[in-house]
Amino acid sequence: MSPLKQTIVGLFLLLVLPFSAQIHCGNVELSVDGSTNAMITFDDFSKYNGGVTLNNALTLRVKVDHQAVPDPDCSWFLNMEVFNNPGAGTPIDEWEELFQYGSGSSDNPDLDILEIRIRNTCATSPLNGTFQTFTNNGDIMDIIQSMLPVTPAGSCTSNVNGPGDFNTNYDEFTFTVDIRVRPTLNYNPGIYEMSVRFHLEENL
Amino acid sequence: MRKLKLMMLAVVAGFCFQTANAQLIDEQDVTITMELQPVLQLDMKTPNQLEFVFDEIEEYYRGITQYAATELKVSSSVSWDLYAVGRSNGTNCAECWDQQLVYGSGGVTSGAQANLPMSLVELRQNRANSGAGVATSFPDYNQAFSPAATASGGNSLYVNGGTNTPPGVNGKYIAGHSGTSGTPGTDAMVGGSWMTQTGTASDYYYTVDYRILPGLPAIFPMAFNEDGVTAEDLSTVSATAYAQPGVYTMYVQYVLLEDQ
Repeated sequence: MSPLKQTIVGLFLLLVLPFSAQIHCGNVELSVDGSTNAMITFDDFSKYNGGVTLNNALTLRVKVDHQAVPDPDCSWFLNMEVFNNPGAGTPIDEWEELFQYGSGSSDNPDLDILEIRIRNTCATSPLNGTFQTFTNNGDIMDIIQSMLPVTPAGSCTSNVNGPGDFNTNYDEFTFTVDIRVRPTLNYNPGIYEMSVRFHLEENL
Repeated sequence: MRKLKLMMLAVVAGFCFQTANAQLIDEQDVTITMELQPVLQLDMKTPNQLEFVFDEIEEYYRGITQYAATELKVSSSVSWDLYAVGRSNGTNCAECWDQQLVYGSGGVTSGAQANLPMSLVELRQNRANSGAGVATSFPDYNQAFSPAATASGGNSLYVNGGTNTPPGVNGKYIAGHSGTSGTPGTDAMVGGSWMTQTGTASDYYYTVDYRILPGLPAIFPMAFNEDGVTAEDLSTVSATAYAQPGVYTMYVQYVLLEDQ
C-alpha cells in the first residue's frame, strides 16, 4: 500500500472510530399525561408539617420502536433531572424564589423538600415505590438505568429496557409519578419554583 | 483520479458514520410551583374576666396573684415574636385603667387618684425568653415576682400610649425581641408549633401568672415604665396620692407577629 493510501485509510479510521456508536432503535418517544405545571399551596399547619402529596400527578408513557430491521441491541434508559434556574442567581440547593411574603428573615426552601416517587405495576424501576429527593440543581436520578444488558419487554422485572410501548406493555412502559412536598416550618413564605426534566434516550 | 476517488470515499463514509451518531432522545419538563403562605396562630386559654377584688387589708399588702391564668400556644410558619401590651379605652388617660365606678365620695380632695397606670399589672411567664439576645433591660416576664417591700419593674406590664405598638429593645417580650437580624436567639424565635415541640422546655407554650399589688397606701409600687427603671407608681404623682376606691377595667393584648 502506498503512503498516500495508508494516509487515506488512517484518516478514514480516525473519522469512523470515534463515532462508532450506532442507532439501534427506530424511534423513542416520551409523553406526559397530567399537568406539567403543578401548583402546591401551603396555608395551614397540617400541610406544612405533614406535607402535600399529589398522587398520580403525572403519567410517563414510553414508546421505543425497533428499526425496520430489528436490532437486538436496541435498549433505552430513563432518568430525571432537577433545575432551579441558577442563572437567575438561585443558590444551587434552593428553590427559585419568584416572590417573597413577609420580612424574609429566614431561609428559602431547599430542593430536598421535594420528593418524587416513581411506580408501575411491574416495578421496573429500581426506585419503584420509594420517595426520592434531590439535593442540588442538576442532580440526576435514574428511573431505568443506562447501559444495562437488554431486558426485553414482557419480562415484568427490574430495568426492562427493550423495545416496546405503553400500548402493548402498559405495566412496564408506563410510570406513575407522585409528588410530595414537605416544607415544615423553617422557610420564608413566598412563591417558589423548580422543574424536573424526564429524559428518555436509547443506549448506545 | 484514483486518489481523488479514495478521498471522496473516505469523506462520504465519514459523513455516513457521523449521521449515524444522532442518538434518539426525548424529554419532557414538569414545573412545580410552591406557595408558602405565612401562617401565625396563637391559641389562648384564659378566663374572659380576671377579677382582682381587694377587700381585705392583707390583700393590699401582699397583693393578689392568679397563677397560670392564661395559657398561650404558638404555631408559626415564620420567625416570630410574642409580646403582651396593656390597653384600655383611654377613658381616664391613654396609659390608664378605665374607671367604671367610684365608691363613696371618691376622696379626691385628700389625694385619691382615678388615673391608675396599666403598668401596675405584673406578669410572670413560666419559661424564659430564649430569643432576646438584644434586650438591654428586662428581656421578658420570667423573673419571680418581687417581694412586696422591694419595688421592681421586672414584671410590670408593657404599655405604649394605649396602642399595641411592639416594644423596643428596652421592653419586654414573652418570646423573641425587637429587631430583624433573623438570627434565632438574638431577636427572633424560629418557626415551629406547640403541636410538635412539646414538653416543659417548649418555646411554643407559655403560661402567664398575674399579680396586682396595691400596697398601703395603694400606690402600686410595682408600676414601672417600659424600661423597667422609671417608676410610675402613684407616689410619683404626689406624696399623698393613693388609688381611688372603685371599679377599674383594662385588658391585656397578646400579639404574635412575624419577627420585626
